Amino acid sequence: MLSQLTSQFPANDFTLLAAVLLLPLIGAFVCGIFGKRLGKEGVRLMALSAVFGSFIASVVTFIMVAAAPHTATKAARLSWKAWHWFDVTGRGRSVVPIDVSFSVDALSATMMLIVTGVGFLIHLYSTGYMAKDEGFYRFFAYLNLFIFSMLVLILGDNLLVLFVGWEGVGLCSYLLIGFWFDDEKKAAAGKKAFIANRIGDFGLLVAMAMLVYYAGTLSWDGLEAAQSAMAEQRTVWSASYLREFPDWLVWLRDLVTPEQPVRMMVATMVALALFIGCIGKSAQIPLFVWLPDAMAGPTPVSALIHAATMVTAGIYLVCRTSFIFALSPLAMAVVAGTGALTALFAASIAFAQTDLKKVLAYSTVSQLGFMFIGVGVGAFAAGFFHVITHAFFKGCLFLCAGSVIHAMHARVHDETASQDMRNMGGLRKYMPITHMTFLVSCLAIAGFPLTSGFWSKDELLFKAFTNTIVPLNPNIITPPLWYGQMIYAIGIVAAVGTAFYMFRAYFMTFHGDFRGWSIVAGFKPPAHDDHHDDDHADHDEPLEGPVPHESPRSMTVPLIILAFFAAIGGFVYAEPLHQVWPLEMFVSLEHFWSPVFATASKFVTTRPGSEAMMWPLLGVGAGVSLFGIGAAYWVYIVQKGEPAKAFVARAGGLHRLVLDKWRIDELYDATILGLIDAMGDIAAQCDRWIVDGIIAKLTSGVVKVTGHALRLLHTGRVQVYAASMVVGTAVIGWYVFTPHAEATIDARRVRPQGQVRFEAAAGHGYRYRWHIDGETVPDIFSGRRNFSMQLERCEQKTAVLTIKNAFDREAVTTYTQCRESKPGCCKPTDTPAPKKEALLGRVDGGVR
Amino acid sequence: MSSFAVLAIAAGLIAAAVPTRGSRTHRLSLAAITAFVVLAIGWLWPEGAATAPAAAKEAVEGADTSPSILLNLLIGVPIGGAIALLFLPRQMLSLVRGFTYAIFAVTFLLSLWLLSVPMTDGWHFQYIADWIPIAGIRYHVALDGISLWLVVLTTFTTPIAAFASFGSIDKRIKELCIAFLMLQGAMIGTFLALDLFLFYVFWELMLIPMFLLIGIWGGAERRMAAMKFFIYTMAGSVLMLAAILYLVWTHHELNGFWTFDYLALCQVVLPGVPGTISPQALCFWAFTLAFFIKVPVFPLHTWLPDAHVQAPTGGSVVLAAVMLKMGTYGYLRFSMGLFPAQAAHAAATLAGLVIMFGIIWGALCAWKQSDVKRLVAYSSVAHLGFVMLGLFGATTSGIKGAVLQMINHGIATGALFLLVGVIYDRRHTREVSEFGGLAKVMPVYATLFVIVTMASIGVPGTNGFIGEFMVIAGTFVSERLNQFGPIQAVAAAFGVILAAVYMLGVVQKMFFGPLSNPKNKTLKDISPRETLALAPLILVIFLIGWFPQLMLDRMDAAVQTTRLRFVNTVLEVSPNPKAAQAVPPGVFSESFLKGAPKKPSADPKKKKVAMRPTKRGGAK
Repeated sequence: MLSQLTSQFPANDFTLLAAVLLLPLIGAFVCGIFGKRLGKEGVRLMALSAVFGSFIASVVTFIMVAAAPHTATKAARLSWKAWHWFDVTGRGRSVVPIDVSFSVDALSATMMLIVTGVGFLIHLYSTGYMAKDEGFYRFFAYLNLFIFSMLVLILGDNLLVLFVGWEGVGLCSYLLIGFWFDDEKKAAAGKKAFIANRIGDFGLLVAMAMLVYYAGTLSWDGLEAAQSAMAEQRTVWSASYLREFPDWLVWLRDLVTPEQPVRMMVATMVALALFIGCIGKSAQIPLFVWLPDAMAGPTPVSALIHAATMVTAGIYLVCRTSFIFALSPLAMAVVAGTGALTALFAASIAFAQTDLKKVLAYSTVSQLGFMFIGVGVGAFAAGFFHVITHAFFKGCLFLCAGSVIHAMHARVHDETASQDMRNMGGLRKYMPITHMTFLVSCLAIAGFPLTSGFWSKDELLFKAFTNTIVPLNPNIITPPLWYGQMIYAIGIVAAVGTAFYMFRAYFMTFHGDFRGWSIVAGFKPPAHDDHHDDDHADHDEPLEGPVPHESPRSMTVPLIILAFFAAIGGFVYAEPLHQVWPLEMFVSLEHFWSPVFATASKFVTTRPGSEAMMWPLLGVGAGVSLFGIGAAYWVYIVQKGEPAKAFVARAGGLHRLVLDKWRIDELYDATILGLIDAMGDIAAQCDRWIVDGIIAKLTSGVVKVTGHALRLLHTGRVQVYAASMVVGTAVIGWYVFTPHAEATIDARRVRPQGQVRFEAAAGHGYRYRWHIDGETVPDIFSGRRNFSMQLERCEQKTAVLTIKNAFDREAVTTYTQCRESKPGCCKPTDTPAPKKEALLGRVDGGVR
Repeated sequence: MSSFAVLAIAAGLIAAAVPTRGSRTHRLSLAAITAFVVLAIGWLWPEGAATAPAAAKEAVEGADTSPSILLNLLIGVPIGGAIALLFLPRQMLSLVRGFTYAIFAVTFLLSLWLLSVPMTDGWHFQYIADWIPIAGIRYHVALDGISLWLVVLTTFTTPIAAFASFGSIDKRIKELCIAFLMLQGAMIGTFLALDLFLFYVFWELMLIPMFLLIGIWGGAERRMAAMKFFIYTMAGSVLMLAAILYLVWTHHELNGFWTFDYLALCQVVLPGVPGTISPQALCFWAFTLAFFIKVPVFPLHTWLPDAHVQAPTGGSVVLAAVMLKMGTYGYLRFSMGLFPAQAAHAAATLAGLVIMFGIIWGALCAWKQSDVKRLVAYSSVAHLGFVMLGLFGATTSGIKGAVLQMINHGIATGALFLLVGVIYDRRHTREVSEFGGLAKVMPVYATLFVIVTMASIGVPGTNGFIGEFMVIAGTFVSERLNQFGPIQAVAAAFGVILAAVYMLGVVQKMFFGPLSNPKNKTLKDISPRETLALAPLILVIFLIGWFPQLMLDRMDAAVQTTRLRFVNTVLEVSPNPKAAQAVPPGVFSESFLKGAPKKPSADPKKKKVAMRPTKRGGAK
């Protein structure tokens, strides 16, 4: 069976990927274009079968990848080149071909399973959740398109194909967040997500441009092989860059250029640029602000895109390019540091939120931070394993939230009120399946021992404590030794927080008394169903409603499956257990992935004695989660939330600040966005008034004014014309009446031969008389215009031209010339002409 | 090939099924357009790597097979059609329109013929005839891989613009047809002319129909906009004319005969050292200013928003899709071709200029516009900034990306103008604030708008991305931009963010949110006619997005030659501040100089010389 498949789909032409990719695309096309005519059943069938078909193909692919021959350092890779896309120019005019090609290895095979598997479950769930929506077909078209884009992202064999998927998922996310676009806020949230992602894409674009230049390739294999190019040190900024600065700007140059050229390792620059992309996509500080807003989309979208798959693309990218990141301890430290800060910061916001989806959203941001801690400390496998367990438990949590909101919608139609945990409570009685699955997933995310989240989170925090990145050479900037421990400490604090706020949400939703409406058995919704009345949950009259209902089977089945994996999924990795009981037949995922990270892990070492640390730190992990859960239990069950209320009363300002998400959005609005907005206004106004004003309006104005002025002369009155004619004639007449004695001098031969030639300017009725100053003046005027004068060495003579015109008026001009055969010998003259002028034959003298 | 036929039929069938409530003609036309696009992919698809060296070997022979009459037909058919229209009765509207369509169809098919010849190094379809022999003016038209795509773009978008215009304009149809046909003929001529005099004639000729298009069928302020457009362009062209004359005169001083031929004038290096004021610098700037006005480059761009806002939809489409490309094409062909040293010297500074004031300033201005058409006009400034950046960088992928981006901009911005025209025809306003929530009443229209928006902001998978990426990557590696290349690449990439900001902003304001304005509640969705105008553009958006190599392959040789010629001339001709000099022989390839004018022999009777390709060689 397997050998048949292998011969059908050889490793270098693995066309099975086409099936994985194209099925969702076809589904998207059919649902989008023909969905309205197919009807809901047709769309349901199309969308589900497309994703399920893709899932089946993914399972087959996974099996084949696992069975394909690989070594400890070389991962098995099945690839399929679809067609040649285009070429770009690299360094030294080399051609960098870029193909539309796809490949799958252990890492992407696993991710592919998650995307299609969890994707299918969420599709299934959506058919129940969205059943009453009029945009049903549109929703599934987008969802299928998302699966396609996500698969392109995962399977792309080079960075550019990955980028297609990367932007594709961003686009689908944009469309799905703004799915109910007639609400301005939701559409705005979509736009915000797209633009935040675009900022990340900018980093990715820059990274690709750098890689084209430095590595000369964008394909994974090529990049992995280009390690020497990556390790080069490059000057990125130096004073010599600005050497052509004008003098009056030198102070500016000195201001912006350092004494020593700034040099950076290529890998650091590339990795940091790539990480900008990850920050945008995976919602890390400072670009995390879009993700909580993205919860405006339908809840299954939040589960699929904004929890399980798309937002983890950043971690996938770091894992994919681990061989670049690992080269640069600095970049790794930035990744881990950003992750740790985000984990803590987002967790702090989640404490105060009352909107169930918002809590989950910030928890997602926080968990993504944990994943970046993992990949940032070199525990790529552990970090990526957290992606997978997170897909299970967070997907499940969101779907449970959706199930709860679905139930709340029976009487509360207002969006905010139906998601507010203060209106919930006690739901465990009415929604047993949702309650159980939610509880299991909560335990998993809190890291309760033996759940999936326990294994993944514990593993990556353990690695944060023990791992260090070995620099390639000692010149490379490395973080201090305590850096790992600091990350670990932050991670532990964030983990306590996670356990606390997740169980706060759990207790508020499922325990206590139901606060949404007063339950009336056999309640019939009022016939007119006045929405306006229901919009406010906290209005004066207590709202009446039916017993909250459990969701339909299409929604609960995915919940159960996901919760199952959230509970036990950790055992496929569970590194400590595998060390205790090494099982031959059951290979841990880390082992499965290790060839993918082989190059990167060369740079990762563990500090001595870390083996012994494993069990104590495992205990710390378990203790942390139990402590968090216990604290939540004490505050919200034992004390009925009194300590929380007391805290709010005591530190109201802080609470409000946290409730407002530390007012980060406002900060951005006031600073960066305000700045860009102001720049836009300035640009638009300048363009309109200054640029257009000078280039178009001013020039046209000048022409107009000149025209007006000239028009004044053209009055059409003969007298004015006659007068101007008289004046003009008089001026010309005076010019003719006056003689003008002018001559051109040819002094080219004055230095070698001492000869100077003159030619007097011609004029009407002119007669000329030439003589040399001091010699006899001839009486006669002749018509001869030419005259030449011979000079001895260092001799100076003055030629005199007298002109008589037809009116017998005379004019005289003198020309002094000197033959400077020795430098400086012409100086002593009564006409102090500079010697150079004399040499060049300039006119020296005037009308007498 | 046959598999593509099957695919084409399948695609056609699917396309026919797409409209929910379409007439038979509508379905058939959509099917035909789609099938045609798929067939075109199949036809252009490279046969495989094995045949590539063989094609290269045919470099010389390949040119032999090209029928030299074809370019004359491409220029002559539209202009001849415009003249023939004069004799048709203006009352018979369908005859006038049908005739115009027929001419457009013929021209488009003729331009497809151009694609059948392998675009090897050198000139193709060259046709030379003496025009005014006493001044050395010749009718010299030829095609290479760069002008090829611009010609195809012209023959592709002009019919769409005319088709869209017939839907919304109902006065002076005959004059409209004549204007469109003249415009097309002149634009094709501009892209093909290799004689500077001929180029100048076409350059000016295309102004007139566009002036009329804006001035007659435009909006309320049409006269002012038409004048502004005309005077701006005219100011540039007069400068260019002066520079042409100086160049021709210098060539005469050097070689002793008069010629306006590009291939001959290329070999003249005017006196001047880069960085000083010299004849060379003045001539370069005279040419470049003319092209910059047309592009338009900051600060010469303010005619564009006015012209676009006032122009009718069809006029805007042609203006954006083709006419702006005259500037970029002109810079590539003439400014860089005739004055490589100056162009190389100015490249880094100019690249900084187009990034700061084209890509970023243009985007910021676009963001703040309240009129959709004005916004799209400013987005053109930003997009063409990318094109110019690619040209300044002068790397292979930069130039290729720039040429591709010229096409992309033509397609995407043309489509955007068509879409804006759709809403303008319904509401007679383009103020963004008048709209909101349109997606509710016009879902198909909204979908198409979003697709074109994605192409415009360069989302991968659409055409815009390929061009932008090639330009950015090209800028990064460019030697021409010195050490600033990487910094400029980063700054240009930043412009990509701003593009998303302004385009998504307008999409959100127009289509999303509540449907608040009561005037919009009864708007009809896009009509079959309008979808037909948009369908080819949208198909091409994806065609280029996924198969750019179909185009890049055909422009490869021409771009390589242009770049090499540019670089080599800079390297091998040492600047002389005082005297003009000739480019030494060997710098320009034989195939490039094919058809260059020779010093006239003693036989003045021979009036018409149709160059046979066997007569190779040039004045060296």
